[in-house]
Amino acid sequence: MNRSLGQFYPVVSPLHALDPRAKILATAALVFGLFLVDSAAGLALVTGTVVALVVASRVPPVTFLQLLRPVAFIVALTVLFQVLFSREGEMLFAWGILEIHDGGVRLGLFLGLRILLLVSAAALLTATTAPLALADGLEDLLSPLKKLRFPAHEVAMMMTIALRFIPTLSEETQKITKAQAARGADFAEGGPLARVRATVPILIPLTVGAFRRADDLAEAMESRGYQGGEGRTRYRELRFRPRDAIALTVTALILAGAALL
Amino acid sequence: MRLELRDIRHVYSPGTPFELEALRGVSLAAEPGEVLGIVGGTGSGKSTLIQHMNLLLEPASGNVLVDGVDAATLKKSELRRKVGLVFQFPEAALFAPTVAEDVAFAPRRLSLDEDEIEDRVRDSLSLVRAEHLRERSPFALSGGEQRRVAIAGVLAMGPEVLVLDEPASGLDPAAREDLLRLIRTLKQTGASVVLVSHDTDEVAEVADRICVLERGEVRAIGTPSKVLYENLEFAPATVQTVAALGESDQSIGRPVRFEETLRTLRSLVEG
Repeated sequence: MNRSLGQFYPVVSPLHALDPRAKILATAALVFGLFLVDSAAGLALVTGTVVALVVASRVPPVTFLQLLRPVAFIVALTVLFQVLFSREGEMLFAWGILEIHDGGVRLGLFLGLRILLLVSAAALLTATTAPLALADGLEDLLSPLKKLRFPAHEVAMMMTIALRFIPTLSEETQKITKAQAARGADFAEGGPLARVRATVPILIPLTVGAFRRADDLAEAMESRGYQGGEGRTRYRELRFRPRDAIALTVTALILAGAALL
Repeated sequence: MRLELRDIRHVYSPGTPFELEALRGVSLAAEPGEVLGIVGGTGSGKSTLIQHMNLLLEPASGNVLVDGVDAATLKKSELRRKVGLVFQFPEAALFAPTVAEDVAFAPRRLSLDEDEIEDRVRDSLSLVRAEHLRERSPFALSGGEQRRVAIAGVLAMGPEVLVLDEPASGLDPAAREDLLRLIRTLKQTGASVVLVSHDTDEVAEVADRICVLERGEVRAIGTPSKVLYENLEFAPATVQTVAALGESDQSIGRPVRFEETLRTLRSLVEG
């Protein structure tokens, strides 16, 4: 099966058991903290931590690497550009107009590693947190903003619905593509313009279908008494346990340590 | 045209934990001018099977033969013109601003001239009795009308074999009758029709032969009276009634179509 970034990997692990709010906060801390880390030792510490977390998540390492594949190209490009075009530090190698400096190599590797760590942290969050739990956690974290009239519940609900409908729409796309192929549509033939035109018979019914589904869903929600976040309770209450606090504190300490190194 | 499937196997997601063998060596043929009914429960492989008929899915092993020629050697566009495939809920793929333009989509892909395209649009819309809808938007039609227009969109290719997957699901009884009439009309023009359905009444009414599919294998194939009386769980209620009454009386015979079974039951009551 094709694994893509942001996919939930349903196994039992200590990371899966953590409160989604703790995981969201820890991921956010890691994402911002990474910008403060600029020593090799610090980066090594963060890398070691992320690797340990991947192991703890019980997501098979090969599967985890597959999750990262979409960004491999960007990382490679970033490293290549830094190595080739940065003129910092001592020159290591020259060939015609091509010059490679040790500062560039260092910068390239650091940047590449940072991107990989950022994406790994995000992939860990989504791989170990069910989409619904993620949305609930986000809603709770955003709820202080309700005082500023920020529609935290509604935003979380929209996210949940969007996530819920990705597989549905992808199935629908396949069906429509097959139906048009049976009518002689060819999606691989002709120039770029012809190929874009060939997607029209897929995109139009897909859009029409999405609107119809949205309408049906809205009606179903209303008939079940949905009226937004006001006074709404949850079937699964989130509970912030001591272990969540510990996980968050440890993450913060490691990041602080890495930034100071 | 004769469409033959020979020992078709199909495996979804091979080599993964999700591996599923959907077809395990299916052989059958749609003879020219016949209506072949395919029945079977959910998960029996019906939908997978029909997608092999125009090679939208390719078999793991086995061959699809068009008049004895391996379909894999034909051009895909040629094969898809000859074998028209109407999926379940085909109206979900309507897209053009008007009905006429939507029906013209397939013939346009065949690079015919405008007059020929117009002829085909008119003919196929009249086959499904939808000429009066031609300038309407397909999205503004009723469910039954959309279904007919979508079928016309496949008929416009001039298929020699028409494959229909659950064509009547969700239609009202009158629209269903229209559909059965269409199948009979097509048969008269010499085309073969493959009718996939879990509505056994419908299949019993029009099929010349019936194939029962079960867990990816052909459980039975043959004349409706033979197949339905030997696989009663796939038979209409009328057939089941006659079979139950006929257990003690072999002279009743094996009527299949509604009119025939009704006549038989009436003679039983009166005699």
